[in-house]
Amino acid sequence: MMINIPKKPKPSLLSVLGYPFAFLFSIYSFFQIGFNLEDFRRNLQNRRLVTDPLFDPKWEWAVENATAALIETIQIAILASILGCFIALPLSFYASRATNQTTITYYIYKSFLNFIRTIPDLFWAMLFTVAVGLGPFAGVLALIMFSMAIMGKLLSETIDSIDLGPLEAAKSSGAKHNQAVFSSALPQILPNFTAYFLYIFELCIRASVILGLVGAGGVGRIIETQRIFLRFDRISPIIVLILFAVIAIEQFSVWLRRKIL
Amino acid sequence: MIKFKNVSVTYPGGVKALDDVSLEIEEGDFLIIVGMSGAGKSTLLRTVNNLVKPTNGEVLVDSKNVTNANKRELKEIRSDIGMIFQTFNLVNRSSVLKNVLTGRLSQVSTIRSILGLWPQEDKQIAFEALNKVEILEKAYVRGSNLSGGQQQRVGIARALAQKPKVMLADEPVASLDPITSRVVMKYLKEINQELGITTIVNLHFLDLAKEFGERLIGLKEGKLVYDGKVGDVSDQDFENIYGRAIKASDMLGNDD
Amino acid sequence: MNIPKQPISQKVLKYLLTILIVAASIWSASGLEVTPERFFEAPSKIWILITAMFPLDLSSEAIERIVPKVGESLFIAWAGTVIGALFSFPISFLAANNVTFNVLNRFTKQILNIIRAFPELILAFVFLPITGLGPLTGTLAVGIHSIGTLGKLSSEVIEGIDEGPLEAIKASGGSKISELLFGVIPQVMPTVVSYWLYRFEINLRASAVLGVVGAGGVGAELINQLRFRDFPRAGTVLVVTIAMVLIVDTISAAIRKRIIKGRDIKV
Repeated sequence: MMINIPKKPKPSLLSVLGYPFAFLFSIYSFFQIGFNLEDFRRNLQNRRLVTDPLFDPKWEWAVENATAALIETIQIAILASILGCFIALPLSFYASRATNQTTITYYIYKSFLNFIRTIPDLFWAMLFTVAVGLGPFAGVLALIMFSMAIMGKLLSETIDSIDLGPLEAAKSSGAKHNQAVFSSALPQILPNFTAYFLYIFELCIRASVILGLVGAGGVGRIIETQRIFLRFDRISPIIVLILFAVIAIEQFSVWLRRKIL
Repeated sequence: MIKFKNVSVTYPGGVKALDDVSLEIEEGDFLIIVGMSGAGKSTLLRTVNNLVKPTNGEVLVDSKNVTNANKRELKEIRSDIGMIFQTFNLVNRSSVLKNVLTGRLSQVSTIRSILGLWPQEDKQIAFEALNKVEILEKAYVRGSNLSGGQQQRVGIARALAQKPKVMLADEPVASLDPITSRVVMKYLKEINQELGITTIVNLHFLDLAKEFGERLIGLKEGKLVYDGKVGDVSDQDFENIYGRAIKASDMLGNDD
Repeated sequence: MNIPKQPISQKVLKYLLTILIVAASIWSASGLEVTPERFFEAPSKIWILITAMFPLDLSSEAIERIVPKVGESLFIAWAGTVIGALFSFPISFLAANNVTFNVLNRFTKQILNIIRAFPELILAFVFLPITGLGPLTGTLAVGIHSIGTLGKLSSEVIEGIDEGPLEAIKASGGSKISELLFGVIPQVMPTVVSYWLYRFEINLRASAVLGVVGAGGVGAELINQLRFRDFPRAGTVLVVTIAMVLIVDTISAAIRKRIIKGRDIKV
């Protein structure tokens, strides 16, 4: 039977170039990293250096020496996430087309937020330790940048997709721009803000564990010193404590999310 | 062709969806089932290909016992039964052609289908099925880019590609406008007449049932309450099936 | 006139939350000895640091040291993401509650949660004595952490699919495997692949940092330059890193958008 079978469309440029590129680049990357099966197998013999002490946790030592640092870690996360997120709140409105019609300032704020995102959290920490000195304050500043970056991106994207109706209504009744945003746009995004805040808080806890590595406070410093002496028997209880804290906070935030949303 | 022998279905919650239904359908019949929502139409349809297993009784298709078939037999039986759904059930991100080809899955080896190396014969069957519902030119368009009516036509093509002996249609036009609904019903009728495929259609629009049906079955609370020719059906009969007076929402109407 | 009162529970909740936040902040700030003064002094100190970085050190010596390291971060991030994607994909099916039975998927989810809880750096720590200094350790750390996060995200995508097409395949005589291959996978792939790409963007930042513990990448460079007070060179490291991250982010975002949107074929 003669029927007009349509022509198969040509594969897109992306798929023609993309797949082979990804595949080849992967092989290239593994080469560059120097993955050597022999070396790997030989080094695997060393694993007992880690696993033996790892499974022999020294709880007393950990509780005695690490508790203060752990509390410091959590405090850094709390302060930084609160400050960072609340600063990012107004910034996000400026970085969204929906609430900021002025092109110049829109680009300035948006670029600012994008820029902050490109620098990893530890890099911020390193820079701040040089600028304001070693210690947890540098860590707080670093994580403020970290929180602002994430909240800024998430929130401005949310604001981009809000319902503009209430905003228009407020303006047409004579309200000034900022008043309109505050009364009509802000309430729409508050549930999202809260959810993002809890998420960022969790991320901050994990990030602040590491800050100590570069001298920016928290339990990272202790972990690093113990690692150099291969005292994994002291590190493992600390890590377990951290795990507990992270899981506890995660459960708490899930409960909180359910309560208020 | 299809025999229902004292079929009863009780769902785990205790809901009795079908109550002792016995029915015989001849090969080549075009059967329409009407009844209120929850009367058991979907359930009855699904006992034919054992998507729902009767708690009592059995269903035979082409003399094969569907209800008690083992896995392998069931797959074979199902490959001879085509089904179209109210929500079309297309894979949105896949092309029309790919969707229709899933109708050929039971006939093609797994490896070939994964790699996309469909035999030319199967592709031809797919193209012809698409041609039958006059949507061949959209073969490479993504499923989600089609209108509702077009998607249902692809659904019909998918079922056709199985080269089925039986066609089951579960409220195929419930989400379509009057004109498109009639187009879809027209295709189903044509397929039934030209290819001799035994067809069962669930409908809740009474005017459509009268327009396209030949034999009409009425279900009420899981029981078979009417079985007769469409020409013999009166408004009173409909009211018996529905247990209430006919409402405007029971009619599809026309596009004004 | 009967003006309805705002429900008490809502008001109370709002007050409690505000008090909670303020109290937590104050407790943290005092514990860390962080005062408002320090916040005021900070910007000027930061400015001093920034100005010390310019003019950047663009000598060939510096470029020869820095660019390969930045490239190394790129390779670690990519290889780690590949490991994450390859292993997380099958695991995510095990963790999806509409694919495997209850005990198995809950167990898998818990394992993924445990893996996720460890930051890449901690994993790098644990691997260092075993796999030694160098990019391999970084890749393993990034890779394994990625398996955790990608596994969880992918399993959620799988759990959220439309079961309709699966029913259609089953009704036409298809096997469970057919349902998986032709019903589940076409539905989840675009979202899952975009998650892979997003993970790559994040891994790039993580791998830049891993150098701090000697697990490869540009982090070691930065911290050394800062310790030796070679600010211009540190500035160069920052600028090159930022450039690479920006480029990767932009390309990845464009590809992700295209994958989700799909191609428009006009007929």
